Amino acid sequence: LNRRMLSLKRDKKEEEDGGANPFNNLEKSTVLQEARTFNETPINPRKCGYILTKVLYIINQGESLGTTEATEAFFAMTKLFQSKDPILRRLVYLGIKEMSKIAQDVIIVTSSLMKDMTGKEDQFRGPAIRALCSVTDHSMLQSIERYMKQAIVDKVPGVSSAALVSALHLGKGSHEVIKRWVNEAQEAVNSDNVMVQFHALGLLYHIRKSDKLAVNKLVSKFSKHTLKSPYAYCLLIRIAAKLIEEEDAGSDSPMFDFIESCLRHKSEMVIYEAAHAIVQLKNTTAKDLAPAVSVLQLFCSSPKPTLRFAAVRTLNKVAIKHPAAVTACNLDLENLITDVNRSIATLAITTLLKTGNESSVDR
Amino acid sequence: MDGGLLEPSLYAIKAIAILDNDGNRLLAKYYDESFPTTKEQKAFEKNLFNKTHRANAEIIMFEGLTCVYKSNVDLFFYVVGSSQENELILASVLNAFYDSISQILRKNVEKRTLLDNMDAVFLAADELCDGGIILEADSNAVVQKVAIKNDDIPLGEQTMAQITSKYGQQVSAATDRVLQSAKDQIKWSLLK
Repeated sequence: LNRRMLSLKRDKKEEEDGGANPFNNLEKSTVLQEARTFNETPINPRKCGYILTKVLYIINQGESLGTTEATEAFFAMTKLFQSKDPILRRLVYLGIKEMSKIAQDVIIVTSSLMKDMTGKEDQFRGPAIRALCSVTDHSMLQSIERYMKQAIVDKVPGVSSAALVSALHLGKGSHEVIKRWVNEAQEAVNSDNVMVQFHALGLLYHIRKSDKLAVNKLVSKFSKHTLKSPYAYCLLIRIAAKLIEEEDAGSDSPMFDFIESCLRHKSEMVIYEAAHAIVQLKNTTAKDLAPAVSVLQLFCSSPKPTLRFAAVRTLNKVAIKHPAAVTACNLDLENLITDVNRSIATLAITTLLKTGNESSVDR
Repeated sequence: MDGGLLEPSLYAIKAIAILDNDGNRLLAKYYDESFPTTKEQKAFEKNLFNKTHRANAEIIMFEGLTCVYKSNVDLFFYVVGSSQENELILASVLNAFYDSISQILRKNVEKRTLLDNMDAVFLAADELCDGGIILEADSNAVVQKVAIKNDDIPLGEQTMAQITSKYGQQVSAATDRVLQSAKDQIKWSLLK
């Protein structure tokens, strides 16, 4: 009886769950069967969009598709290009990306995607570029190169960003081709859009990173307050810090001056990145660290848990090599011992164990 | 884990996820090989959920990774990065993620509404992060890219329930037609 009660209970629970989740208990084979609807004409965008969402849902749940079933679904999906429904088109791009690594002959969609990436609908262009680059292999890259270069310098930020980010992904396998896009990337760094600037700087660095002189030039050029994006600033700080380490330079390097100047940036993200970089450098004296430590001390009393966490974690690192430099923060650290976030409290205690004396821990 | 400086790279995000209040996956994207199999991914999600669902602490160091998170009603949003990653960058991505989904769901940030708008949720995640690179960190821009112009119904209003009811109506209309024609046939056969 007890067991029956339990199973009844479970049924009820499942019923409730099923009611709350229309995607619950989807069978892969059933969903893929439904995907054959894509071959029917005329296309019903709502119905096909719902089925495609189910396909994306089961893939997202970790259901693995075999080559044959993925290829079949992929080819059925290509039929949906006939519909001009915007949501359906965007879902097709997602489907292409999800299946591009499993299905066979995926280059079949190349011309459709190239049409969309150069077409009139701006909102399709960025996502189409990203989908296109997911089906493009090394040997095909040259045929789309001209369009990629154009897209990088496009006025629409979503298009430019999509091309820059895709170039970085492609760069993993085809560095030689990506190298030839340096002029376009250089133009895009001057964009007013903060994300485009960030992505362009990332691509520029990736292309030039083996040429130390070029990287040096890159940092000195952009360190003169010409960047708008805080993300780009964070990246530039990391590049500068890497140069300092590679050259075994100390705080007399102009790169160090740049990082130190970022401690006065208006974005907390940039200030923290700079403080973090200074603290991590090898050839620094306690004096070099002082401005970074004061900034971190200030962050310790921030109402934002993430900022307190970041600050105390970095101070914890400083305390390993320069415990004396952190002593000034002991009172702030003591306040963090009772922090509601246990990670912060733990970090504060371990830091105090390195810097403080017994009395401060006792208190 | 404190291996000095982070290599300058645009790849900052290891994973993003939305879990329900049982720790089950509603959406999860992994951008590197930290958790190569579904089994490992789901185990990570369950453990992360168990550590975070009661403590509303926003940030946690977990399995050598930095995880920032946020919850509402029955949904939990996560952004995961390397332990050396700038925590504020991760937090900015989490905020953009949460805020864009909140706008898409018209502030009804709960499981039911999320599932009704799963198509838009997938599209928003895709506009937020591309293969581990932050693509857009401004929630308004993400929503703008997801909501497509010139559509008769705004995406947010186009719930699964409405779609289902629409098909329901079509089916019942079809049934009515069949019944009507059957009635007509009977009528004509009687009149003959």
